[in-house]
Amino acid sequence: MNDAPLPHAEMLAAIPRMRRYARVLTGDSARADDLVQEALARAWEKRRLWRPGTDLRAWLFTILHNVFVNQRASARREASNVSLDAETEGGSGAWQVPVPSTQFARVELAELLQQVGRLPSEQREVLLLAAVEEMKYEEIAAALSVPVGTVMSRLSRAREKLRRMADERPATLKRVK
Amino acid sequence: MAAIAVTDDDLMAFADGQLEGERRESVEQAIAREASLAARVTDIREQNAELRHAFDPWLAEALPPRLVAAAEGRAARGRLLRLWPAYAAAASLALGLAAGWFARDAALERTGVPTTFARQAAITHALYSADQRRPVEVWANEEASLARWLTRRMGTQAHIPDLTALGYTLVGGRLVAGNEKPTGLVMYENADKQRITLQWRLAKDAGAPSGEAAFRYASENGVGVFYWIDDDSAYALSGPLDRAQLLAVARVVYGQLAAPAPPAGGSVPKPPAEPLRPKG
Repeated sequence: MNDAPLPHAEMLAAIPRMRRYARVLTGDSARADDLVQEALARAWEKRRLWRPGTDLRAWLFTILHNVFVNQRASARREASNVSLDAETEGGSGAWQVPVPSTQFARVELAELLQQVGRLPSEQREVLLLAAVEEMKYEEIAAALSVPVGTVMSRLSRAREKLRRMADERPATLKRVK
Repeated sequence: MAAIAVTDDDLMAFADGQLEGERRESVEQAIAREASLAARVTDIREQNAELRHAFDPWLAEALPPRLVAAAEGRAARGRLLRLWPAYAAAASLALGLAAGWFARDAALERTGVPTTFARQAAITHALYSADQRRPVEVWANEEASLARWLTRRMGTQAHIPDLTALGYTLVGGRLVAGNEKPTGLVMYENADKQRITLQWRLAKDAGAPSGEAAFRYASENGVGVFYWIDDDSAYALSGPLDRAQLLAVARVVYGQLAAPAPPAGGSVPKPPAEPLRPKG
């Protein structure tokens, strides 16, 4: 049994990554921060379940994922005919490039974020965790409570869709290689 | 090594740097033989790089203080805020009040009334008087059952003063779950929608000399509170009034509680049974 406080510096360092994950899940910046706050509070409540020495980020992602899934389930019970994904994936402003870069790259990155936003949330999160966070498939599977094979098939489908969307981009927006 | 079938999953795992040992070697050999396989690995890696390029700037955004507090284990659950949006403004007002009242503790120590009671009364007043939807649990149209309910729950006879002569009509009442004893609350409203509350609870341990009422006044952020101990109970009258206005109401309340009007019939408030000399 372990009742020690969670490591301060690591908790603070996890916030940006949790916000990014939450924003990818919800497609909505304000909702994402609510989700992160809830997940952090739950992490403190359940801090005995974290084993020091293991990956704190992965543990926090697991909690965040569970909070999101539970909230979405209850939102669907309340309004069963409204798809939350359809509702939040519209023009919610989360898929933006927050830091200005060069004009061309900015347009291209915005395009890419929009395309990721059009993927189903299950594929978005796997894509983020594998390609951007560079987590092992096994870690992702544990965080999402799904088999490794499911992680890989979601990832493969997400990549294929992104590739097709990129091919449909106007030629002027394609990356110059 | 002879050709071993390389699956799409193998290629993907290889591109993501997640293949080890023999399988990794077999993929390396396969892509060395087949340019199309090598191109697919390159595609995946380029896509990963683009995604990181697109998403990494999000990490540089400034952290909201509420998330820092939550990460340090200092915050309440976010869900509470979302379930009770109507209380958010009242709660922040209440917190401000609590901070202001705290500084008064030393000055009020000698009154015989626990200052926490006055403070809690102000907070409770701010919380419920701002609640548009459900400021009370039992509404004025059930005044008789409200009095019976409060009497039963608090273990002391509840009298609900009639303040219509002062322009205040009863809104209703509720029980406030305190840390120690339950507190009764009745709320009144005038034509300007100004709300005042009377709160009381048993205070046998307050140490006030029996039969002596000490009237004390304090105000913070526009909410005034008169509070006193009479017999076995502590009372607090709170409202957005100045001292003179609130005192006028307090005199009537005190008078009616000292000599309660008969429950049924006459709505004409009786004058105070005895002159009241505020000591505060």
